[in-house]
Amino acid sequence: MLAVYRELEGSAQLLAHAIRRIGVLRVPPVAEELTRQIYFTGAAATGGIVLRGAFIGTLIIAYVIEVLNADAALAVKMLLWVVLREVGPLIAAVLVIQRSGTAVATELALREISGEVASLRRMRIDPQDYLVVPRVVGMAVSNAALTLYVQLIAVGGGMVLAALVINVPLAEMLNYFFVLASPLDLVYSLLKSLLFGAAIAVIACYHGLHPGSRSINAVPQAAIRAVTEALLAVMLLNVIFAYLVYGVAFFGLVTAQR
Amino acid sequence: MILAYRDVRIDAPGSHRVRCTDKEEMFTALYELESRDGAPLVLFGCDVGKVSDAERRGLMRRIGFVPANGGLLSNLNAWENISLPIAYHAPQSLGGALAEVHALLNELGGVDDALLAKLPDDMTLYERRLAAYIRALLEAPDLLVVDDAETGLGATKRQRAARFAEVYRTRFPGGTYVEFNG
Repeated sequence: MLAVYRELEGSAQLLAHAIRRIGVLRVPPVAEELTRQIYFTGAAATGGIVLRGAFIGTLIIAYVIEVLNADAALAVKMLLWVVLREVGPLIAAVLVIQRSGTAVATELALREISGEVASLRRMRIDPQDYLVVPRVVGMAVSNAALTLYVQLIAVGGGMVLAALVINVPLAEMLNYFFVLASPLDLVYSLLKSLLFGAAIAVIACYHGLHPGSRSINAVPQAAIRAVTEALLAVMLLNVIFAYLVYGVAFFGLVTAQR
Repeated sequence: MILAYRDVRIDAPGSHRVRCTDKEEMFTALYELESRDGAPLVLFGCDVGKVSDAERRGLMRRIGFVPANGGLLSNLNAWENISLPIAYHAPQSLGGALAEVHALLNELGGVDDALLAKLPDDMTLYERRLAAYIRALLEAPDLLVVDDAETGLGATKRQRAARFAEVYRTRFPGGTYVEFNG
């Protein structure tokens, strides 16, 4: 219990530090770290997103129309609710945890064990400024960009593939899309994905910078703890967001008093 | 008094080779500016345990380090490693630093400019120490602490590493060069 409290406190401190010291991104070496992080988390991950996004979009439309025997309007509504509000940010977050969360925890744990973090301190460079701030900002921004990408691919690709596979006119679906889509959904998912990215980053950084021992065995353990806790944090944040914004959580099992 | 910790006492500028009983403890104390078991650590006449944070930062600025493995960041090439403290603390002087690095490489010899593009994993032990040495010199330290500059090197590289003290003293006549051997 004490360990959980310590980890939560440590991660919250790292997040507070990243917000307080965001100005350090103007320092050239930190700006370079930010660019690297955005490249590895955002740009290099886009390839994996395309197929997953398109498959999910098609699956939702095909399921709603073919299995539930619903019309195109309901299919598009489901697509918007599920993909824009929930699945888009979650898929991007899971991808970021799987690729960058593990990479950041492993890299920082290795740096800590090999003495690179101490070396930074000796150069009068705060390791949290140099290592944590660009990772938190880079992963938050990249996660938001990947979420937008998933949403575009899943909604757009889903509608196009559905029109080809299950014979629903594309124009009809597009029409419903523009009628039903709300800017609130986009703002909601953008805020959520920024927070997801930041949460994944601080958890990965915390475990990377606190590997538990100086042994090389501590590196995979740090990565495992980072992945497990980041997944848990993302799920928890998702429930909190859904409850705060739409008044429902756990797929409608919990509803707010209106 | 320039440096005093346990059985080590250095009270005059110059080049010193010190054999200490627990080199690791000495390096940790100097690296972290924190003594073990409350043993007094004196640097430039100040007891480190009694100074304020600002004074500590001031002391850190006056000390340069050359760890035995170089202490380089593994994802940065030699030039990025060498220039990191300057790029971080005083980016405006980065232009002058490159000329200084070339001058030092010429002076010490044995490596060409291609070193600057190498990642630490591709460097030899001597190259890693040289990069750490140049990085330290660019900050003009009053005290340069070197961990076994020659250990683990072949005869030619050992001769070159032996010149670290001389080059430092030529550039900073009032400075103190301390090399610790185990």
